Amino acid sequence: MSAALRLDGVGFSYGAVAALCDVSFDVAAGERVALLGRNGAGKTTLVRLVAGLLHPNAGTVWVGDWDTGGRAPEELARRVGSLFQHADQQLFARTVREDVSFGPRALGLPAHEVRRRTEEALEALALGGHATQHPYDLPPALRKLAALAGALALEPIVLVLDEPTAGLDRALRAQVADALREHAERGAALLVVTHDLAFAAETLDRGIVLDGGRLAYDEPLAALLTSAERLKPLGLVPPTVAALSVALDLPGRPVRERDAAHTLARVAGGGPGL
Amino acid sequence: MTPLALEEVTFWYPATETPALRDVALEVAAGEIVALVGKVGAGASTLLLVAADLAPRVTGGRLAGAVRRRARSGIVLPTPWTQLSGMAFTVWDEVAFGPANLGWPGHEIARHVDHALERLEIVSLAARDPVTLSGGELQRVIVAGLLAMDPDLMLLDEPTAELDPAGARSVWRLLRLLAGEGKAIVVATSELDAVPDVADQVVWLDDGAVRAIGTPQLLAEDAACDDGLGTTVARIWRAAGLAPPYPLTVADAVRRWP
Repeated sequence: MSAALRLDGVGFSYGAVAALCDVSFDVAAGERVALLGRNGAGKTTLVRLVAGLLHPNAGTVWVGDWDTGGRAPEELARRVGSLFQHADQQLFARTVREDVSFGPRALGLPAHEVRRRTEEALEALALGGHATQHPYDLPPALRKLAALAGALALEPIVLVLDEPTAGLDRALRAQVADALREHAERGAALLVVTHDLAFAAETLDRGIVLDGGRLAYDEPLAALLTSAERLKPLGLVPPTVAALSVALDLPGRPVRERDAAHTLARVAGGGPGL
Repeated sequence: MTPLALEEVTFWYPATETPALRDVALEVAAGEIVALVGKVGAGASTLLLVAADLAPRVTGGRLAGAVRRRARSGIVLPTPWTQLSGMAFTVWDEVAFGPANLGWPGHEIARHVDHALERLEIVSLAARDPVTLSGGELQRVIVAGLLAMDPDLMLLDEPTAELDPAGARSVWRLLRLLAGEGKAIVVATSELDAVPDVADQVVWLDDGAVRAIGTPQLLAEDAACDDGLGTTVARIWRAAGLAPPYPLTVADAVRRWP
């Protein structure tokens, strides 16, 4: 089976400044990938390439069997849903519902299908209560969710998201995590740029790390997150759960809260003093 | 004089009947870092806008109660790209924009700008055009712009939201240093695990009102955990069925571990 997303020797420069160099990887349908790296490593550039806002100077970005280089962003929207860092700029309709339904309508879907997708996306992010509000009457965190709902409503084969949890509280982060997991189960490939390693640990499985525009690591996320020495040069630090696992030497080195709590309970075994 | 004091402050945004802040009382001393925590919409951002004299002066709306603040305060908004002056073509000039508007002599401006760039570790960005920066770089530029004005009171709304974890750590360390130099700092953050090492005082906001004020230990209590405001370590300890008091940080957990 072909990959949902394939980068093949991709390079990109802003004028003389090289942002990405010879980056290659595949993401299969249903795979949940974190794209990590320090500020300026090239993550946002990669997101823009996958969304078709930029075209590579070298190599090819494939979405399914489409070479994104030859496609306009609006055509690519049939297959790629994206959330950009400044999500505010993705909102333009008079109500949240109208905004979320814009994508499915632009795809030319029949009215009942537009309605189904819109309502499902609103529900997945618990935005139903805000559907008739103007997006700019919402706090920034909920505006971000509204933009994400718009991407989900496209039901794309690739979801590429740039910092989806910045500015969200824990409850909203959990909501985003649930919605993303559900779309992955339905077959969407997830590529998520995030500095929020705790969110990444809870939601994603594989870690791709960029460093200076090049691919530095591509491996199971849990292994990466428990390795302080590999994270440090990348401007990353282990998230709290991973740090706790290592500090207490918990068996299996869990990186998700629930797993850590189970392991802790088992190891402590109701022993005295805890 | 206390750098910031709010007395029974209630605030309504324009055309709303439900106040965004309700009877909030808060004092911030020089050299103190106060962390505002709460769910989205709890009122932390609004409290900072009120403290910065932007609400209701700029936002509109209505305020009851009293706000007392020192003359020189500054705020960092959670959306750094909306806070650029639009008047500068280099980072250096952007950081100099605030001090220049204070009417300082040129050499004083230069000294403060250079120092601020150093402290935010962005000297290498000095000649860059601000509009070409990444979100994280921009966030540091905005903090530098505030710092360059040498305010007595610094108000920061999610100052690390755009930063990578190492960048976030260096900003938290810097805030501790600045507090050590006597600045009063109020910071709204959803990065709860950072709070114990940063804040002297935690203010828990809930639906516009102060639900509790205390030391960061507040974030290891059952009530905070129930409301999604416990630190990760406290939540894991609790979920494992281990007895309270729960440890607050990884270091606490290690001390408690046999």
